[in-house]
Amino acid sequence: MNAAWLPLTTLATSLFAAVIIFSLPEEARRVRTYINLLAAVAKILLVIVMVGRVSEGYEDTFSFQIVGGVDFVLRADALGVMFAGLSSLLWLCTTIYAIGYLEGAANRKRFFGFFSLCVTSTLGIALSGNLFTFLIFYEMLTLSTYPLVVHAGSAKALAAGRVYLRYTLTAGVVLLLGVVLLYSLTNDHSFASEQGLSPYLDDHRGLLTLIFALLVGGLAVKAAMVPLHGWLPRAMVAPAPVSALLHAVAVVKAGAFGILRVIYDLYGIELSVELGVTTVLAVAASITIIYGSLRAIAQEELKPRLAFSTISQVSYVVLGVSLFGPFGTIGALAHLLHQGLMKVTLFFCAGNYAEELGIHRLDEMDGAGKRMPLTSLAFTVGALGMIGLPPTAGFITKWYLGMGAIEADMYWVVAVLVASSTLNAIYFLPIVHRLWFREGPAHGKGQWPKEQSLGRLETHGWLLWPAVLTAVISIGAGLLAGLPFSPLDWATRVAVGEYLP
Amino acid sequence: MSSLLLVVALLWPLFVAGSTVWCAYRVPVQQRHFISMLWVSAAWPALLLAYAGDVQWTMDAWMLGGYWELNALSRPWLAFTALLWSMAAFHARGYFADEQRQAQGGNASAQRRLQRLTLLWPLTLLGNILLIVAQDIASFYFGFALMTFAAYALVVHNGTPAAKLGAKAYLVLAVIGEGLILGGFLWAAGTSDTLTLKGVRDTLATADHGAWMALLLWLGLGVKAGVIGLHVWLPLAHPVAPAPASAVLSGAMIKAGLLGWLTVLPLGMESLSPAMMQFGNVVLVAGFAAAFGAALYGIWQSHPKAILAYSSISQMGMLTALVGMGIVVPAVWPALLPAIILFAGHHALAKGALFMGTSVSEHMPKWPTSLLFLLIALPGISLTGALAAGMFSKWGVKHALYEFEQERIIALLTWAAMGTAALVTVCVWRQWQQRQRGNSHSFQWGAWLAALIAALMTPLWLPLPEGSVIAPPLNEWLGIIWPFPVGVVGMALGLLALRRFDVPTPPAGDWWWGYHSLATLGLSAARLLAARCGRGKTTSVALALKGERWVMKGVLRGLSVESWMRQHGGGLMMALAVLLALLLIWEGQ
Repeated sequence: MNAAWLPLTTLATSLFAAVIIFSLPEEARRVRTYINLLAAVAKILLVIVMVGRVSEGYEDTFSFQIVGGVDFVLRADALGVMFAGLSSLLWLCTTIYAIGYLEGAANRKRFFGFFSLCVTSTLGIALSGNLFTFLIFYEMLTLSTYPLVVHAGSAKALAAGRVYLRYTLTAGVVLLLGVVLLYSLTNDHSFASEQGLSPYLDDHRGLLTLIFALLVGGLAVKAAMVPLHGWLPRAMVAPAPVSALLHAVAVVKAGAFGILRVIYDLYGIELSVELGVTTVLAVAASITIIYGSLRAIAQEELKPRLAFSTISQVSYVVLGVSLFGPFGTIGALAHLLHQGLMKVTLFFCAGNYAEELGIHRLDEMDGAGKRMPLTSLAFTVGALGMIGLPPTAGFITKWYLGMGAIEADMYWVVAVLVASSTLNAIYFLPIVHRLWFREGPAHGKGQWPKEQSLGRLETHGWLLWPAVLTAVISIGAGLLAGLPFSPLDWATRVAVGEYLP
Repeated sequence: MSSLLLVVALLWPLFVAGSTVWCAYRVPVQQRHFISMLWVSAAWPALLLAYAGDVQWTMDAWMLGGYWELNALSRPWLAFTALLWSMAAFHARGYFADEQRQAQGGNASAQRRLQRLTLLWPLTLLGNILLIVAQDIASFYFGFALMTFAAYALVVHNGTPAAKLGAKAYLVLAVIGEGLILGGFLWAAGTSDTLTLKGVRDTLATADHGAWMALLLWLGLGVKAGVIGLHVWLPLAHPVAPAPASAVLSGAMIKAGLLGWLTVLPLGMESLSPAMMQFGNVVLVAGFAAAFGAALYGIWQSHPKAILAYSSISQMGMLTALVGMGIVVPAVWPALLPAIILFAGHHALAKGALFMGTSVSEHMPKWPTSLLFLLIALPGISLTGALAAGMFSKWGVKHALYEFEQERIIALLTWAAMGTAALVTVCVWRQWQQRQRGNSHSFQWGAWLAALIAALMTPLWLPLPEGSVIAPPLNEWLGIIWPFPVGVVGMALGLLALRRFDVPTPPAGDWWWGYHSLATLGLSAARLLAARCGRGKTTSVALALKGERWVMKGVLRGLSVESWMRQHGGGLMMALAVLLALLLIWEGQ
């Protein structure tokens, strides 16, 4: 039985939310909040239904033909549902956070409208069943995030938006070229195809490599791989919830997810290894990991440091993919989820510090643990997770990536992982130290840059609880990784499906 | 029953930590007991657990799959660790009584420090317990990391610049150690697809690169155990940490590294690869180097706790050498392992008592001074092997080595015991010089006495397998005892001889300062490189922009051609017509 309505409805919830929000007047704050939350919760429920369906072995597909040979396909397969689950869970958290964050700010209608569109695109990317559908949502994501990046409207924000568009649109053209070349070679090509592109290997080896380079090159811009990462640190001018969404699930992850799709579902792993592209990718990912960490150390402001950390961390996913073997795959897939959870926590916390105390620079954070204990605790969890210390989720992925590297006989990758852990410790532990072990304004030394008492608790409840929730999930995903339906368990399912068809 | 006890043993410290947070928010500071009896009790369930017998637990949901066990190794380990933590907690109740009074009186800084310490102490303990019972890699690593990072608060407690330096050295080395351990575990576990410590051990014994994995794990765990070269944090951190914290650092936590070695290194396994034998020799040599080097450097120190830190390095050096024996002469291992456990347990309690003794000599109770200093020296004398439990532990080691005719090793260990005697002499002498009157709290000297007694009676309460503790026969006593008087007399003569000269105290932390300048050099080189790269990047961006401008200028110029063409449309058409006509004519010919 094929429930074609399921992927379509899941996609439609946030699309409808966007339409309704755009049609509502700016002042309808309460209605907008209800619609946002309702849609987010409805989507989580639908994704849960999809998870159930997939674990029972169904692959619900919705498709129609656009022109001859080009289909629009939405398919709920295990990999897609995994990404959809992440995006819907984090959408709820980020929406709650954004409502608290933008309380009293201007242009909220525009913000939430495009926010919903952005999530729609992410979900579309997760559920697309072929390259054409993927491309549509991928470009839609670019366009729907631009208004969010420039939301503040300042000269700096507009400049960042321009850089963002330059990078992503150029990448879109490159990607499009790759897609067109591939279509001219194979006609329509579904992600669900069993044999990948291996039938074309003998005659079109060079062309396949070229197409791979174009596709992955286009996707690597959103995945912020060095040297195509320049837009990401500048996009930090966006409001905190946007940064959180951008870094945890939407843009950066869309790129990484695209690379996953290209390697696993389009080319197939054997073919990618045969072409020798995975080794190149592993080296590029390793360079990105180390370079991102090194640059992060040099940053003196909180958000740019987190941005460079993202550049480094997202490449773990790419690194895991390029390790041929089930462990690397599990590590990559699990990291897609784990990194999202941990990074969103860190950005929520950074936003809380900025909103409540006006903290932007690292040296202003002294003693903030006393003033904002729960936020700082959540931040500490996120930071330890980034370093990869147990029991956080970061340890689980680091473990599987390391095992995958040994399995693939790529010992140098373990060195990269250990070096990256150490570098992460070098740039996150001093922050944790500042939060808890230094004396600051909370101890009567100096003043916070711009203190506002936003709520009865340490800050506004809508800002605080999402951060705490994601921090708890980050620990839970590591401590109870052996439970069924944990991120690790789901990643294992996908990987097993990939390697034991 | 024992499962319930395990749960309680692990949750109780967590509950205690939670209760300190609760008190911080709910109890007004004037009535707050930072160090309550509840807090002191944090390690008690774990102590009970150690005597509950051998048990196993597996939990699939826990991280990568939990597998915990109390066996012949982990049970005695848990017993002495939990006992030391309990004693140290009692001692802390007395040690921090003054600070607590200040905090209750409204001293914000004292409040803050005590709050931090009381919260992170039980968490450190939790990590220590977990790593002892853990038999799977993830739990072990979790416990190890939790203990390592939570103990930062124990070291930095005083907040003085020296304490910050000590804590920094501790943290830097800890991070390096964690990295090495992770690398070693990943390599070993990935090679044979295992998740248990036993699997790692088998891999190390059989895999091609087993010796390299063993080296990584040995060094990583060796940061805690004070392997020479990685030992530099000990003499920096110990003098500045509060006495109860030093006691658990030097008694219990330093042993966590040793326990790690005992569980993962292929000790007592026959037919190891030549590379592994080489590695065993390295361990042996490094152990003795630490045993003698630390003694030679430590005797010049003036701070009693720095001297004790060097004594710990020296003692751990001996244990390291014995671990090396387990690889080089595997046959000796079955007899040597119980001796090592006894050695470790005795050293834990004795070193704990010695560190607590430093706080007693700074606040001497109104006892006869000679009696007090005799008691202060007792655990040290026992460490040299001249007394009570020390004799048993020394004989245990000697006995095992005698059987396999390792006379040279025995001789080296005996000389190292002279070093111990010398260090103890200097330490007691320095404590004597720096003694201060002032009533110590009853918990303070009570816990110290209890630890002292426990140290001297270690073989009686340590749950070792039956028959593994052997009393030294009378004719061997002289051979065990003599290093003590010789060491003391030698040291005393040396001190007398040097009394005329003003020998400057070498800085505690020896090699740290070398590392420090090396790191500074490296950093400035990196900065130089980064600056150069930055300049390169700026130039290339400027070049690219220039190129873009040039191209755009060309495009714009191209656009202006269009308007020129519009103006001269007629003429151009004429020219085109003429051109076409000429072509036609040419074609027609």
